[in-house]
Order: sequence, then structure tokens, then C-alpha cells
Amino acid sequence: MRTPRGGLFTVGAMRVIRCEGLTKRYGSTVAVDGLDLAVDAGQVFGFLGPNGSGKTTTMRMLLGLIAPTAGRAWVNERRLPDPDGLSRVGAMIEEPAFYPWMTGRRNLKVLALHGPPPARPDAVGAALERVGLSAVAGRKVKAYSQGMRQRLGLAAALLRDPALLVLDEPTNGMDPAGIREFRALLRALADDGMTVFVSSHLLAEVEQVCDRVAVMNRGRLVEQGRVAGLAAARQRVRVVLDAADRDAARGLLAGRPVRTDGPRTLLVEGADGREINAILGRAGVWARQIRVEHPGLEEAFLRLTVTEEETDATAPR
Amino acid sequence: MRLLRAELRKLDRPLLYGVTFASALFCVLLAVTGASNARQGAQEAVPIPSCATMGVQEGPPCTAAQKRMRVRITVLRMRHLAIATHTAAQLNPAAAGAETAGLMASLPGVLALSLLAGGHIGGEWSGRTLKSVLTACGHRWRVLAAKLVSLWLAGAALIGACWAALAVAGPVLVRAYRLPDPHETVAEAVRWSGAQAGRALLVLAVFSAVSLLAAVVTRSTIGTTATTAGTFIVMLALAALPGTGRWTPATWVQGWMGFAAGQGSITALPDNFWSRFITAGGAEPGRLFGLTGLAATFLACATVAVVLFRSADVT
Repeated sequence: MRTPRGGLFTVGAMRVIRCEGLTKRYGSTVAVDGLDLAVDAGQVFGFLGPNGSGKTTTMRMLLGLIAPTAGRAWVNERRLPDPDGLSRVGAMIEEPAFYPWMTGRRNLKVLALHGPPPARPDAVGAALERVGLSAVAGRKVKAYSQGMRQRLGLAAALLRDPALLVLDEPTNGMDPAGIREFRALLRALADDGMTVFVSSHLLAEVEQVCDRVAVMNRGRLVEQGRVAGLAAARQRVRVVLDAADRDAARGLLAGRPVRTDGPRTLLVEGADGREINAILGRAGVWARQIRVEHPGLEEAFLRLTVTEEETDATAPR
Repeated sequence: MRLLRAELRKLDRPLLYGVTFASALFCVLLAVTGASNARQGAQEAVPIPSCATMGVQEGPPCTAAQKRMRVRITVLRMRHLAIATHTAAQLNPAAAGAETAGLMASLPGVLALSLLAGGHIGGEWSGRTLKSVLTACGHRWRVLAAKLVSLWLAGAALIGACWAALAVAGPVLVRAYRLPDPHETVAEAVRWSGAQAGRALLVLAVFSAVSLLAAVVTRSTIGTTATTAGTFIVMLALAALPGTGRWTPATWVQGWMGFAAGQGSITALPDNFWSRFITAGGAEPGRLFGLTGLAATFLACATVAVVLFRSADVT
């Protein structure tokens, strides 16, 4: 089922991934804490979060590699755990691993024998072609660079023309040209109707290629929505004043998410420029400059995932 | 069957060829030593000692003593000749299957399968390839079953390779060391080899199941190899204890394969490296007892491995 690019949840659209209260605990450590998530078909869905936020653990639970401690999850509308539900899922979790004594092509042939046979007779050749590895497919994997292994991992994930592609940090080790090709490939796959669920640290890449994102922090989902919406909703107002007026202005804006950015600047998160201007003007505090900023996904991500203590510690006074 | 094909393709690797070569070389070197031992025994000329050597006065007492010594030496020579004949029979190309089956169903087989299991099963964890396998096939028990069967087939292939090596080397050694003709018919030799090789297949299945369980528990190459080998060494040590001997898989292997107990298993060309570690005291377990015990061990190990693996997190 195809969903228009960048579309919001479509009425009746197939939920390729659905999680309800998904939780994973390791002893007293909570890796994933009550995750509620929905991914519609045909989207490129970015799954973001700092290291240790629970992204890979969530992906592993969705792929049946680890069992959730609590909660429920569905993949391709099949309740997990369901071994047959994986037949239409392609995955690459962390750095892909292969049998080093085999060639790239032979590795894919062996992996193709696990699970149902691929629909196309030359699925291995087609997957290698798609990721640009045909020329080196006859080389042993132990001689591959990390970027080539990443590509081979992607080829392995694409072997069965899956409805859902789960990719964990897929561009690790790729050169800039490779990353660019990869971005184009993800878009092409989504345009073909494939749903891509991808985690990445490269936020600029995610911003360019993803329709929707979810942000995890310390095992919890802290934000979920369209990429553009996430950045826009988090717009901020930069207020430049005389240094003598800064503390007075800060007092007037008390109760709002305001922080200092140098001796003459205040940043007010999620605010409206006219409103800030009016508040300060009514009190006779005149700003030298008021500017609305749309900080983009990276700023939004940092704001969502960096704790208040860390903000206080790093923010310039 | 697709999974089994995948596992067999994974076994097409330097590790398998290295282990096969080492096993075949071991069998051939053992046969060389065995043939040499047999020849030395058969050739050894023991002179009748003189009266002075025996410390007996010359005359009728010495003649009687020398007569007794002659009988003793004749018996010894006949025994050495029988050993040489038996060694020649073991090295018959058709009968060499029994020799290799015995070796593969004992410690050399344990070591060979431990190494293979370490790479083939434990290596899926160490090499982090297991997650690729399980994301392609979520039926974990099928993955384990394919691993088990492929390892067992590799063990069977080892018997075949070693048999082939001995079949080539055996006649050369018999001729080189001028061992006596055993007058063994091909049918007899094939029957003996077939029976021992068939029995060894069950023992290899047990070795494979123990390896599988070791891999699931230790989740590493070295852990699998060390735990499998260590398990059987501990079993052999337990088998030597008076109270537990009858109830260990080591004793069941001995009973099922029909290995002679204790020192009885040490011959010019040993047909196993197993029962020499088990004392001959007490009643030997019969074939049926051995079969029952080994079948139970196989089922228990395979079942526990599947149960553990189905609920294990793969990271």
C-alpha cells in the first residue's frame, strides 16, 4: 500500500509497525520504557536518539531478536512474536556481519536460503546491483571495507523485496558519495511503496530523507511527528538587547522557556515574535533586534535529548 | 531443507578442510605406528635362556625349565603373530571403516567435532552473524536443527575421509611392514566396518547435540570448543568412579561401540581412544543399555538447547 510522501497518518493506511507500551528491562536498567509508536506504510521513518537511548533495543525487539519485558508490538500487522511475520522484513542491525571466508555474492546466496525463497530468481544479483557492489561481489568479505560491508548488509536486507526495511545506522563507514547514493536509494525504495524504518546519527541526512521521525531519550519516546513539523513547532525567538536590559527582560519573560545566549541575547523557545515584542515594549524594555529562528532538526533533537542539567552547564551566561 | 543447504554451504570453509586433513593424518600416523608395533612384536626373536641365565643346574632340571620356557615363548610369539594378523585385518581397505569409526566415536572425534562446532555453531555468536540469520528466519528451532544435522553430517564426512585415507595407506603399510595375511573376506570386513560406522553415527549425533548445547550456553567459538571437549573429559573421569561409572554417557559410548574396557583396549593399533580411561571393574554396559543412554542424552541435550535458544536474547 502506497502512501503519499510526507503524508500524515492516512485514514485506513496500513500500520507497518505498531508498539504499545513496549518495554525492555535488563535487571534494574530500563532500556526501553513503555514505547508507543506507529509507522504507516510507504514512509521513511527516522528513529533518532543519543547513544543508549533504546533505538537498537527497540529494533531488536521488532525483529524478534530479543523478547520484550512488557508491552505489545505488531510488524506488518502481525502480533509479535511471530516468526513468519519476518518473511516480509529486511533488516540491518548495527554493523552487518558476514562469513569472512565467503565472497559477497556467496554470503547473499547463503542468506537467501534462510527463510522463504526470494521472489526473483536472480534476487542476489539484483540486490548487489542496487547497492553498487556487483563489481566486487566475487571478492571475499574479509577484504571488504566497512562501507562495502554496509552496502552488502543493505543488499542482504533487500533480498526478498521486503515491505518493511529496518536499518540501524546504515551509513556508518560510508564515504560522502556513498551516503548520497544511499539517500537516493532510500527515497527510491519508499517511492516503490517500501516502508523504511531507519535510525541514524546523521541528522542532516534524516532531515533530507525522512517523512516522519520519532525521538528517543533514555528509553522513552520524547517526540514523534513530521520532520518539518518537529522543527517548525520548535521555533524560537532570539532577542538582542542592551546588556543592562537583559536581566529585566528575563524577569518579564519569566515562566517561559527562556535562556541566555551571551551577555546581550535571550533565546525564548517555541515563542511568537510579536508577542515577545509586545511584552517587552509594554514594560519599556526595547530590544535592539527580535528574530524568529527555525533551528532545524539537529537543534530540535539536541533540545529534546539534552537534559536540563546539561543545558545549564553548557549554556553561556 | 533450504536451511540445511545453507548450513552445509557455510561448512565449505578452511576450518572443515583443516580438521579433515588433521584427522586423516592422525589416522594414517596411528596406522604407521600400529603396523610398526605389530611388526616388532612378530619379529622379536626371544632366545631360550641358558641354564646359567636361569640359575638352574645343567641336567634334567634345566632341560625341563628350558622346555617350559620354549612353550611360553611359543605362546608369546603366537600372541604377537595374532596381534600382527589383527593389525593387518584392521588395515584392510574394507575393514578400515571400523578403525576410523572407533576413532571418531572416541576422543579424536570429540576434539574434531569440538573444533567444528566452535566455528560452525559458536562462531555465529562470536562473528555476530546470528542476528542476520534470525532476522531472515525467525523459526529458531529450525535454525538449531539445521546446525545440528549439518554438524553431524560433517562428522560423518570425517569418518568417510579418514576411511578413505586408511584404505589407501593400509595396504601400503601391510606390505611395507610385512604383516601376515589375515585371510579376511571382503564381506566380513565390510560387515564389521558397516556395523561400527553405523554405531559411530549415533555417537557423533550425541557429540553434536552436546556441542549444540555448549554453543547455546556459552555463545562463543572458544566457549563451545572448550566446553564440548571439557564435558567429555569430565565424563570420562566420572566413568572411572565406582559409583557413577555405569551412569555416564562415556560408559554408554563404550557399551554401544563395544570397546574393550581398560587396558584391554590398548593394542598395537588401538581401535579407540576412550575405554582405556574407563576401569574394567564391574559389569560392562551392554549395547542396549548404551543405546538407551545415548539416545536419552541426545534428546535431552537437543531439547534443552532448543528451549534455551527460543527464549534467549540475541544481541
